[in-house]
Amino acid sequence: MSSPTVIQIENISKSYAGAEFPAVNNVSFSIQKNEVFGLLGPNGAGKTTIISLLCGLFPPSSGKITINGSDLQSELSKVKNEIGVVPQDIALYPTLTGRENLEFYGTMYKVAKKDLKERIDLWLEKLEMSKSADKRVSSYSGGMKRRINLIAGILHNPSILFLDEPTVGVDVQSRAAIMLHLKELNASGMTIIYTSHHLEEAEKFCTDVAIIDNGHIITRGNPIELINENEGCKNLEEVFLKLTKIKLRD
Amino acid sequence: MRQLLAAIKKETLLLVRDRIGLAILFIMPMVLIFVMTIIQDAAFRTLNEQGIPIVLVNADQDSLGNRIEFGLSNTDLCVLHTEIDGEIATLETVRKAVQEGQFLIGIIIPEGATDAIENNVSSLVSASLGMEDETVGAQSAEIQLIIDPVAAKSFVVSITSRLREFISGVKARIMFETFNTQIAELIPEDLGVETGTYNGEPIITYAEEYASELTGDVQPNAVQHNVPAWTIFSMFFIVLPLVSSMMKEKEEGTVFRFHTIPTSYFLQIIAKIFVYIIVCMMQFFLMISIGLFALPLIGLPELELGNSYSGILLIALGCSIAATGYGVLVGTLATTQQQGSILGSLSILVLSAIGGIWVPAYIMPDTMRTLSEMSPLHWGLDGFYGLFLRGEGIGDMIPHFLKMLIFFVVCIGLTIGVQRFKRRG
Repeated sequence: MSSPTVIQIENISKSYAGAEFPAVNNVSFSIQKNEVFGLLGPNGAGKTTIISLLCGLFPPSSGKITINGSDLQSELSKVKNEIGVVPQDIALYPTLTGRENLEFYGTMYKVAKKDLKERIDLWLEKLEMSKSADKRVSSYSGGMKRRINLIAGILHNPSILFLDEPTVGVDVQSRAAIMLHLKELNASGMTIIYTSHHLEEAEKFCTDVAIIDNGHIITRGNPIELINENEGCKNLEEVFLKLTKIKLRD
Repeated sequence: MRQLLAAIKKETLLLVRDRIGLAILFIMPMVLIFVMTIIQDAAFRTLNEQGIPIVLVNADQDSLGNRIEFGLSNTDLCVLHTEIDGEIATLETVRKAVQEGQFLIGIIIPEGATDAIENNVSSLVSASLGMEDETVGAQSAEIQLIIDPVAAKSFVVSITSRLREFISGVKARIMFETFNTQIAELIPEDLGVETGTYNGEPIITYAEEYASELTGDVQPNAVQHNVPAWTIFSMFFIVLPLVSSMMKEKEEGTVFRFHTIPTSYFLQIIAKIFVYIIVCMMQFFLMISIGLFALPLIGLPELELGNSYSGILLIALGCSIAATGYGVLVGTLATTQQQGSILGSLSILVLSAIGGIWVPAYIMPDTMRTLSEMSPLHWGLDGFYGLFLRGEGIGDMIPHFLKMLIFFVVCIGLTIGVQRFKRRG
């Protein structure tokens, strides 16, 4: 029996004011519970726009998005309680400590005070940030900031987690730690929607990927199946280059 | 409520840990109050107290020349000199000295100025009594003023008014004496009519009174005018750190996160407004304290607060909410830190200029005076002037406060509109 659908996207398009072409053009797909779904594409392909639409940051120009059975537009508040977002930017306050940032965001997610403290301590421990938790974020390395950025998005135990390039600019150790704990979260039942330019990482991590370019989905499937389907390709990166061509993007 | 308290705590920590920002918020307004009050006080003294150097050439050496010399020597309007570098002043040396900036005005009373008045009066009296005019000589003379171009027009007007006053006094006395002499010639001596003496006492005097409810000796002065004006100006400059805080959140990506969490983004805005209103009120108390305690230490008058402390608090609160509301709107409209800073600072400069902070609104042209009524800084300033100078009470402050409250509501309404428009993409 297949897993239930947690995200259903039907014919969504998004055009920005003054733009010549739509950033997302008539895209439809669905994501099943417990999937690790990779949204891959070159710069300007429409990945961040799709993530932003799924997070309810702004409405689509047309089409419909349903998350956990709720219409995103009409039940946005309900949906926001069920999703977690780890943005591409380090969305933390540099002059606050790691712990102060986490306490603040946890409170904004309405996590009970007692639970919040426990969860913060637990995640700081897991991601080896306990010793640095009371130092200001501005003193952290890129990897440490990424780890706190991740914790801030999962403190409320969301059932769906959006990750926009969560490992960009971090060292191998931090990346390994982040990916390890993301796998743990997925194993515990969390659905993960993930964008990245690290195709090797995506190949290992994702159960399903969609390659997007110029606002359209070009292909979708399990990474291994996609490699097998595309003759001459030995890995996901070669599939990606074959489908999106080598032409440089703005 | 827990979310609001957390947001307020976050805003407070961000503010407290930004030491340069804090210094700008509190030290710069203090410096501004000191500098502007001292400068404006000097201008006040220039016109009203003493120290303006004036040089006089009294070539007349008669009633008019002597009256002017005596009068200007005994006025607090200026310091009168009749010598330049130890030599009796002459037209040439006066012209040179004024040109070199040694004196602001040089006054040359020509020889025979009193004679000219006497001749003129004598002709008039003879004509009015139907007698033959036997006057010989000039009937007019010209007093020459040599003015340094930097002299304020108002000061020149003050000096010429004084001169006219002296000339009128001398002319009246000469007229009285001439009449006496001429009439005495017409009346036979055996009638025993005695002629009177001219006492020169003014018939009409002036009584100055300030239209104020305040009792005591509260006089408009540089402190009374400048402390409220620059306090309001500084309070409105809260717009800059507030805009900066909002722009940082946009640029660092925290706003992105706020829009994805279940708590409304406006909770963050409310927290900002709350914290920045507190900062504004602290700025206000600091600057009023400077007027009360620090300015008197450097020889300036102490700020008089009037009769209504509750009125003062109400207007300070009104300014605080208007300033923070405006800051939130600018922070929402701007898309970059630079844009926000320029828009914030320039608009506050314009609002303060039309609001009467730099020059009083009553000397502005009609159009600007009408515009002035639309500046929230003007509402605040008018409120403080009412309290500090006219002795008004809290009841008189309610219209000022309501205007600022409405301004705040409009700013927040526009902020919500702009936010919705932007999120629609």
